[in-house]
Amino acid sequence: MTTGLASSTAIVGIGQTEFSKAARRSETQLASEAIAAALADAGLSSSDVDGLVSYTIDPVEETELVRAVGFDAIGFSSRVPYGGGGSQGVLLHAAAALASGAASVVVAYRAVRARSGTRFGRADVGGRPTSSHSGTTAGQWCSPFGVLTPASWMSLNVARYMHAYGVENADFGRAVVQLRAYAANNPDAHFYKQPITLEDHQASRWIAEPAVRLFDCCQETDGSVALVITRADRCPEASRPVLIAAAAASGLFEEEIASNHYRPNLEVMDGSVALARRLFDGFGIERGEVDVAMIYDAFSPILLMQLEGLGFCGFGEAKDFIADGHLGLDGSLPCNTNGGLIGEGYIHGLNLTLEAVRQLRGDSVNQVEGATTALVSASRTGVILRRP
Amino acid sequence: MCPSCHGLELEVLDLAGSGVVYSYSILHHPQHPSFEYPVIAALIDLDEGVRILSNLVGIPPEDARIGMPVQVRFEPTRGDMAVPVFEPRVLGR
Repeated sequence: MTTGLASSTAIVGIGQTEFSKAARRSETQLASEAIAAALADAGLSSSDVDGLVSYTIDPVEETELVRAVGFDAIGFSSRVPYGGGGSQGVLLHAAAALASGAASVVVAYRAVRARSGTRFGRADVGGRPTSSHSGTTAGQWCSPFGVLTPASWMSLNVARYMHAYGVENADFGRAVVQLRAYAANNPDAHFYKQPITLEDHQASRWIAEPAVRLFDCCQETDGSVALVITRADRCPEASRPVLIAAAAASGLFEEEIASNHYRPNLEVMDGSVALARRLFDGFGIERGEVDVAMIYDAFSPILLMQLEGLGFCGFGEAKDFIADGHLGLDGSLPCNTNGGLIGEGYIHGLNLTLEAVRQLRGDSVNQVEGATTALVSASRTGVILRRP
Repeated sequence: MCPSCHGLELEVLDLAGSGVVYSYSILHHPQHPSFEYPVIAALIDLDEGVRILSNLVGIPPEDARIGMPVQVRFEPTRGDMAVPVFEPRVLGR
């Protein structure tokens, strides 16, 4: 069923705002700016767009966006649940809409003011039986015990993972040093020109011990990114398309996002294992074909756990994989070459997709020579993109 | 609703309140005025097979261990309520 999507659609435009700590304008304006930039990149106009896809927790109202950007014929719209873990699902929705004929030009977007607006990392004890469609209803069972933030939710899973495989926080630090080295070259990154050493990482303060130090956390960021997706046989002539070779989501609702504390075995990211099965086996793509990977790094430990779940190394082996330099430009799997969510900024995972497109266009500031195939993994949703 | 049988009847069972630490995390930041830091958050696998998120109390953070046997005790909260927290189980209890 999924193979009907294989390379039948393409990303033809990308756009973004600046990434900052204080955008000083609304999410609606941020999204509008990113979308206008993406349409210009694609060589399309707003009247060409008939589909809109975003996240369930994105604050931008479609009605406002339509008025702001001047879309006049939106016939398809959808939203993907599961927060940033669902981020790559926007491409699955777009591809499905295009392949079925429900839409002909789809815009996918995410806009956040995660620093100047609602911060993910702030202590909030408001008891909420529902979660504004963020996918974390179990938060109500966490807050009475001081477990108030995504970092603290996730640290419980990570501490068990560390215990099982003899992983230390410095093992996460080696990944962060690589991400910050990439970010140091990226003018759009929060940590542009600010590389760190492992000693710097180990000197950063504890957030949740022994799993997460300050430098293991992504940046709370204001900004927006957008993509324009069309059928592969209808790419605008002036565009520089990147094929969606595979798009998949694995059991989005089987567990909470970060507060998924009740699965029997928290030492493995089951969602990544299932995602890899759908992306690689489902679409007949080999892991060895991946030239560059973008792996959702809200916190550095989940980068390691996804590397294992996706099958790029064995369980418990990501620390050695990273220590051996595989994530660098000279390694077997250059990873998060924009600096990741930790180094560039946190547009809830969708900025990773833009970096994958840049790699396949040859436009990255940390370009992987001859990159033709890129993976983007957000733990339970993912895509494989290809240069045509 | 029960996902197996779609039944709606809810049965209340008494649990022994004993279990082992499946995982734990020493929380430093951010800090909320309702708590004394560092807070030890823990996942407890209860003997009956249920996992519960709670706090480890009665020990310094450096003494927390995965696999540690623990026993429930109830901490009062505002409004005459209580929450279950866990302390190291003394052998023989």
